[in-house]
Amino acid sequence: MAFTYIPTSQNPRVSGETVDLATMASFLSTVRRVYLTIYNWMVFVGWFQVLYLALRTLYETDYTHVYHAVEKPLQLAQTAAVLEILHGLVGLVRSPVTATLPQIGSRLYVTWGILWSFPETRTHVLVSSLVISWSITEIIRYSFFGLKEALGFAPSWLLWLRYSTFFIFYPTGITSEVGLIYIALPYIKASDKYCIRMPNKWNYAFDYFYAAIVALGIYFPGGLHMYLYMIGQRKKALSKSGKKD
Amino acid sequence: MNMKVLVVSRSGREIIKGGVELKETAIVSDLNRAIHHRMRKYYPSRQRLTLPLQPGSQGKPVVLDPRKKVREYFRGNEEKLTVVLKDLGAQVSYKTLFFWEYLGPLIIYPIFYYYPAIYEYIGYTGERIIHPAQTYAMYYWCFHYFKRIMETFFIHRFSHATSPLSNVFRNCAYYWSFGAYIAYFVNHPLYTPVSDLQMKVGFGFGLLCQVANFYCHILLRNLRGPSGEGGYQIPQGFLFNLVTCANYTTEIYQWLGFNIATQTVAGYVFLVVAASIMTNWALAKHRRLKKIFDGKEGKPKYPRRWMILPPFL
Repeated sequence: MAFTYIPTSQNPRVSGETVDLATMASFLSTVRRVYLTIYNWMVFVGWFQVLYLALRTLYETDYTHVYHAVEKPLQLAQTAAVLEILHGLVGLVRSPVTATLPQIGSRLYVTWGILWSFPETRTHVLVSSLVISWSITEIIRYSFFGLKEALGFAPSWLLWLRYSTFFIFYPTGITSEVGLIYIALPYIKASDKYCIRMPNKWNYAFDYFYAAIVALGIYFPGGLHMYLYMIGQRKKALSKSGKKD
Repeated sequence: MNMKVLVVSRSGREIIKGGVELKETAIVSDLNRAIHHRMRKYYPSRQRLTLPLQPGSQGKPVVLDPRKKVREYFRGNEEKLTVVLKDLGAQVSYKTLFFWEYLGPLIIYPIFYYYPAIYEYIGYTGERIIHPAQTYAMYYWCFHYFKRIMETFFIHRFSHATSPLSNVFRNCAYYWSFGAYIAYFVNHPLYTPVSDLQMKVGFGFGLLCQVANFYCHILLRNLRGPSGEGGYQIPQGFLFNLVTCANYTTEIYQWLGFNIATQTVAGYVFLVVAASIMTNWALAKHRRLKKIFDGKEGKPKYPRRWMILPPFL
């Protein structure tokens, strides 16, 4: 029996259209854009809620109630940021993982490792400054990326906000983080939470109290590095948009 | 007859006014010396000389080879040559760098073994029992770093004589911190040793790999002349026939032996970090060798080999 070759496009046994590589690529690119647009706007809504609830609570009662009001949206919005590490690793976005990892790391540490784990810290006034610094920064950031993905560009005033508000909110945010860790120290020492003691088969020990002290130590060079990095990014971003006009 | 060489910075600024004059037969290292003569700050190992990149061209600038004649870099019959000088910053010899990196672990580890007062100070009181595994671990560890220091001074032949000074701080931080970290746990009063068999297998395997590693270093040494001439060669013989960076492979397995015998999380963390650093180096070295030995222009073609860790890489 002789076999003849029939091209795919004429083969009656192949149903439907054939998809060529270029169409596939642009389809995937659209999927990426839609996904990132949805992602950014959803997290934006989360942070907007945090800011709104924080301010409303401060207006109606006092700072001791802020944590309780914002806890759920805060945890959700902040933890969702873990996806961003994935996005960077998979190549969905261009941001280098090395820049986002320390920031997300410190945020998750304070959100879960301090505030959630040690309720005694929740009524401190620094919670308010923390939550306000974080939420304003993130609202600007996520709307910026949300617009870029959806529309292809973001307005220059938003670009300016993104690269200027950190001058205030990095120091206030970092101070709040450091302050809250410091306040938590006695509670960490008293509880034995997250500690691994010797002897054990793997000859390992972990002391959450000493780890917190090391974390505090890292905040100073780390924070400085992030601050200088943002200043460099600012120069690049604002000069680029200046040249375009 | 004399040649004129202009020396500029990467931004085009003239570093040596009027340039330097060299004999026709001068080689690049004579140029290094002439620059150093005019500017005492720039001793030769601190200089990186390249040809200026043509405007609009991509790619890396050509680095001047110290052994080549300077005249070879002149284009056509140009009267003078412009070279770009980059200051590599303060340099230390590799021997100095390695000595200080390795001295730390050699001294710090035994401190934890011989001075259990450290643990008492932290709060662990009571009688201390020393397990044989802890004693063997200390000998093994110290032998390893002693071996490394000896190899640095008597075996290794370095192609680049120096390394930036900042690497001293970075590398010492790495080795000394990990040394203390591991030493703390292995010599801990509450240390739990593994079974006698496991310990013996671990240390035995580790020692075997250290011997193999030493032999790899001997083979690598013989690829080059006494002052590092020879540049890049295809490593041959022993495990190198199978793996490009057999020296790193044996080093990684040697640490694995140590960890099997001592079983600490700290030790395994060190193993993972060290292995990933060496893997990065191995990948780069393998690629570089493949690129150089491409089989063209009479050069041999680089044989198919594992890069560092068969059967994965």
